[in-house]
Amino acid sequence: MSSYDNAELLALWLEDNLTPEQRTIFEQRCVQDDDFAQQVEAASTIKLHADGYQDFDVPQWDRGKTFDCQERGSSQERANSQERVNSQERVDSRNPFEYSARRQRWAWLPSVSFAMSALAIVLVLTGTQVSLTSGELRIRFGHEQSQLAMSKLIDSKLDTFKQNQQEAFSLYAQTLQQQQLESASQLTNYLLTSSRKERREDFAELIKFVNQQRSDDQLFYARQLNQLQQDVYLDANGIKVDGTQQ
Amino acid sequence: MFEKSDEQLIEKALKGQKKAWFSLLKRYEKPVYHYGLRMTGNNADALDLMQDVFISVFRNLSSYRNEGSFKGWLFRIAHYRCIEFYRRKRPQQGLDDAPEIPCTAQPAEQLIENTQRNAQLVSAMQQLPLAQKSVVELKFFGHFTFEEIAQQTGMSVNTAKSRLYGALAKLKTLMEVDYVEL
Repeated sequence: MSSYDNAELLALWLEDNLTPEQRTIFEQRCVQDDDFAQQVEAASTIKLHADGYQDFDVPQWDRGKTFDCQERGSSQERANSQERVNSQERVDSRNPFEYSARRQRWAWLPSVSFAMSALAIVLVLTGTQVSLTSGELRIRFGHEQSQLAMSKLIDSKLDTFKQNQQEAFSLYAQTLQQQQLESASQLTNYLLTSSRKERREDFAELIKFVNQQRSDDQLFYARQLNQLQQDVYLDANGIKVDGTQQ
Repeated sequence: MFEKSDEQLIEKALKGQKKAWFSLLKRYEKPVYHYGLRMTGNNADALDLMQDVFISVFRNLSSYRNEGSFKGWLFRIAHYRCIEFYRRKRPQQGLDDAPEIPCTAQPAEQLIENTQRNAQLVSAMQQLPLAQKSVVELKFFGHFTFEEIAQQTGMSVNTAKSRLYGALAKLKTLMEVDYVEL
């Protein structure tokens, strides 16, 4: 006779935990022991019935009562909760709703805060752009601008650049022209002034030369006349004429 | 699609979220109701027992420490509430005594419409003592192991095995009688 009793063997069989040795014993017991065989058959039948048992829906009942009962929670029942480890837990376990009612008021706040943070992160990561132009709301995802917007942006930048360049060129040309006019005027004035001065200097030199020539001529003629006068008043011997001597 | 775990629902229920508590309740009300139906044998008592169980579960929810499955913890409470229920209803009857007072309320068999076998099995179970009935219920319908049954009912594993063995013999006889009567 083996050391396993019938209840043990049946239990092992029901949980499908029989070792090969136990299975051999189990099968032998089924053959040799009619009572055991009938028990196994009964277990199989009941297991079959239980597996074939079809649940139906729960009739309508007041589920809220389980909730309301907690809110009322009698003091006697609270006193029975002796298994609580610390005082805070004791307070909680007496009536969880009572404990949490205060917190429930703001319980939504962390969730909403978390959700908003997550949304903000998503918006940043996806590069969401919201634009409102002339009553039209546009939401764009992605960091890259669309081709159209890019070409528009380039066109506008080019137009601005072109306009700036044109203005700069026209201003430059105008300045250059004015500068040239001023230079030409200055050059003309300089030329006129310098030629007039030179001519005046030339004439002054000429007049001075002419005056000097005339002065030299006068001096020459004066000497000639003196010489002539002396020649006239002296005779051939060099004696002075009477009239002249008087 | 993203079903919350029992632990998440418990945590939220403890924070006072009624919706989470109802979700948890709806998840387990059917097994608990049918447990009550098979243990008490009638619909009204099953509903009363179910309500008792869930009130007790919620009252002790904060003491649930995630040790073992929530289902196991729930059925342990259900077992003790069931014993309390029988003590209130039949104070003189022991756990191992066979029931003496026949059920007067609407029999569960009438509610179980699928097959006659359901009715036959439930009817036979009503004639077992509570201790044996609990083991049969937890083993065949709850699909618990003998160790879990022992933890839930507060008996030893060997006692659970021997009670099941004893219950099987009685059930077989009772069901044969019922079959002949039918």
